[in-house]
Order: sequence, then structure tokens, then C-alpha cells
Amino acid sequence: MSTQVQEGEEGVIYMRGRVAEVLLGAGFFGIMATLFLGFHWAPSVSINAFESPAAQRIFYWHVPSAWAAFIAFGVLFVGSALWFFKRSAFGWRLHVAGTEAGLACGLMTVWSGCVWGAAEWGTPWDWTDVRLNTFGLLTLLALFLVLGRQSQPDGVETRDTFSTFGLYGFVLVPLTYMATRIWQIRHPGPVVAAGDSGGSLESSMALVLMIGALSFTLFIVGHMLISMRITQLEQRLEQVQNSLDGGI
Amino acid sequence: MEGSYYLTTAYLGMIAGLAIWTWTVVTRSRSIELRLAAVESTVGVEASDADSLAPQSINIANQDATD
Repeated sequence: MSTQVQEGEEGVIYMRGRVAEVLLGAGFFGIMATLFLGFHWAPSVSINAFESPAAQRIFYWHVPSAWAAFIAFGVLFVGSALWFFKRSAFGWRLHVAGTEAGLACGLMTVWSGCVWGAAEWGTPWDWTDVRLNTFGLLTLLALFLVLGRQSQPDGVETRDTFSTFGLYGFVLVPLTYMATRIWQIRHPGPVVAAGDSGGSLESSMALVLMIGALSFTLFIVGHMLISMRITQLEQRLEQVQNSLDGGI
Repeated sequence: MEGSYYLTTAYLGMIAGLAIWTWTVVTRSRSIELRLAAVESTVGVEASDADSLAPQSINIANQDATD
């Protein structure tokens, strides 16, 4: 009976790994399809409204990657709370997955934004723009958490410290989301869920953007599942190695 | 034309970034699976026995010390 349970657990872990890889593959394929559609199928924007209409197509990557980054930062917040208040090992795995995914998506968003800014504004960054700076801080927070965790020995104190950063750092998420609704400095205003100000997105552009958001969501969920699995396997490996050390 | 240059730079940079990140994570996952399987086969126990193995090992070590 016990052997059957063990085989069942192994099977679940194996299946989770395969599901994650399938999600990764589907997400990656969807992202490539989004880029292709954004490049060849989506209509051009008005040449009067943009300095660099061709570079505007980065939008189909920039917005979905920012969306995926917010999902990752949400997972980071939930994981940090579960660890800090419930001492949940699952919560810690969520925290680890959220930081890594948040860093990757944050860097993609910042990079694509800088390239577009260089083409459209003539400068890759504007230190006076609230949206740019709060999102930049979020990405730096994720970088700090990833590097900090790698340089510190794992333990309750380390996890508590990083979870606290994850909890308080989440304040930047709603602030970043609301920034262009409150302060219109340089970053364009919202084109989706714009409220009374009205979005200006044409239907085929919106469709490509939706495909991009869905693809990035699949991709980032796949990445977070794999990351959680790696953390779980590392913990198991440490347990077995500790048991070996104890036996010597 | 200049806009296309920026767009191509951004796309190539990000596709390469995504591919490298994904490759690194999947490789790391598979490598740790192999390491775990190797350690477990060396120890000669199933993975899910790892929790119960540690106290047993400590008991054996304590007995050896008292003998």
C-alpha cells in the first residue's frame, strides 16, 4: 500500500513537470505567433501620431510581458504572505517562483520599453516618469530577492526577511498600475480598461494583444511550475544528503 | 526604416533572452532530477523514505558512539 502511495507521489511530480513543459512550449509558440501577427497582420498606427510607427509594434510584446510580470508579482505576494503568516513550504516555493518569473518578465518589459523609448522619444528612460520608475523599482526588487536568496544560506530568518520585502514591495504594483491614470508624464496612457478616457485600440490590434497576453500567461505559469518543482527537488536532495551525513 | 531597426533589435534580444532563460530552467530541472535519482539509488531508498531515513541514521550513529 505504502509503495503504491510512493509511486503515486512520484507520478504526480512527474506529471506536473510534463504539464509545465507543455505550457512552456505552448506559451513560447503563442509568443512567436503574436510577434508574427504583430509584425505582418496588425495594422500600422498613424504616422502623425507616432515618431516611429514601426517601433510601435513592440507594444505586442511590451504590454503582455508587463501583464505576465504583474501575475508573477501577485504570486510573489501570495507566496510571501503564506510563508510569513502560515510557515507554508508551498508558500515559499511560490515566493521563489514569483521572484524569478517577476525578474524575467520585468527585464523583458523594461528592455522593450527602453528600445521603444529610444525610437519614439529619443531617450530610453525618463527619470521624471512615475510609471517607468515604479516598474523599474519592482524589477530591481525582484533582482534583489533572486540574488539575495542565492547568496544567503536557506533558513527561517532568511525566508522571513525576503518574504517581508515581497509583502511590502507589492505596494508598487497598484502604484505602477495607477501611475499613468494619475500622472500623465511621458508613458502613454492606458489603451485597455481605460475607463472614461476611452481606449483607442482597433479590434485586430486588440486581438493580437489578447493572443499575446494569453501566450505570456501560459508561458509564465509554465515557468513558475518548473521553478516550484526545482525548489521542491532541491529540498528533497538536501534531505537525502542530510540523512547520508547523519548516517556517516 | 530606423523604427524597423529598433523593432528588430528588440525582438531578437527578447527572443534570445526567452530562449536562454527557458533552456536554463528546463536543463536545471532535468539535471537536479538526475542528481536526486543518483543520490537516492546510492542510498538505496525510495525518495519518499528520505524523511524517515534521517532519524534512523542518527539513532545508528548514536548507538555506535555509545558502543
